[in-house]
Amino acid sequence: MPGRVTVRLFATARVAVGASQLRIRVDPDGVTAKSLIDSLGKHYPKLAPALRTSRFVLNERYLTRLTNKVRPGDEFAVHPPYGGG
Amino acid sequence: MSLRLTRRPLSVPAAMEALEGPGLGGVVLFAGRVRPDATRRGRVVALEYEAHRTLARVVLAELERKVHRRYGAERVVLWHRLGSVPVGQVSVVVGVATVHRTEAFAAARFLIDQLKARAPIWKTERVQPARRRQSRPPSPGGRGAG
Repeated sequence: MPGRVTVRLFATARVAVGASQLRIRVDPDGVTAKSLIDSLGKHYPKLAPALRTSRFVLNERYLTRLTNKVRPGDEFAVHPPYGGG
Repeated sequence: MSLRLTRRPLSVPAAMEALEGPGLGGVVLFAGRVRPDATRRGRVVALEYEAHRTLARVVLAELERKVHRRYGAERVVLWHRLGSVPVGQVSVVVGVATVHRTEAFAAARFLIDQLKARAPIWKTERVQPARRRQSRPPSPGGRGAG
């Protein structure tokens, strides 16, 4: 049975989607981060430009490889370029 | 070390107190305030800050450890406002206390630069839209004096 991944969106990514969080259904075996990012870009075309310049975080750790698996229950965050201070 | 991500106002005197310590002769404290910049959409009246809080805390803690190792910082303050911060208010405070001034200046500069580049914190400008200029009605007597 498919489960869900929580996708957290910040700044321009949040504005593009109009929500700070999404629940995305994925296969029980999970999907690659690249596949999830591509899927987000297709479903939310306004998000695509932000995805091109963002860093990604999987379960509170920066994603190092787009081939990493994202599994049901995981939290995936989209971080557009930072702008604190 | 003192880390804060807070929606409450930041106090510079409180930051100075947090930097006290015996033998710490060099104290550098940077406070960033919101500017009323003019933008194409109007004048900035506030900045809205948001953060990925858990990760931001991890990044700030790493920065604190780095300045301790590199510059011998004995006390560090890394405070950042979240939510709406009106023009003129302090949005960020970075402070360092070391034995001598050279290391304190270098460490403070390093901290604010790294915070801006590496901490998952974002801001959005809230602006007061510029008023449109109203054209004056023509005077009955036409142009010129009298």
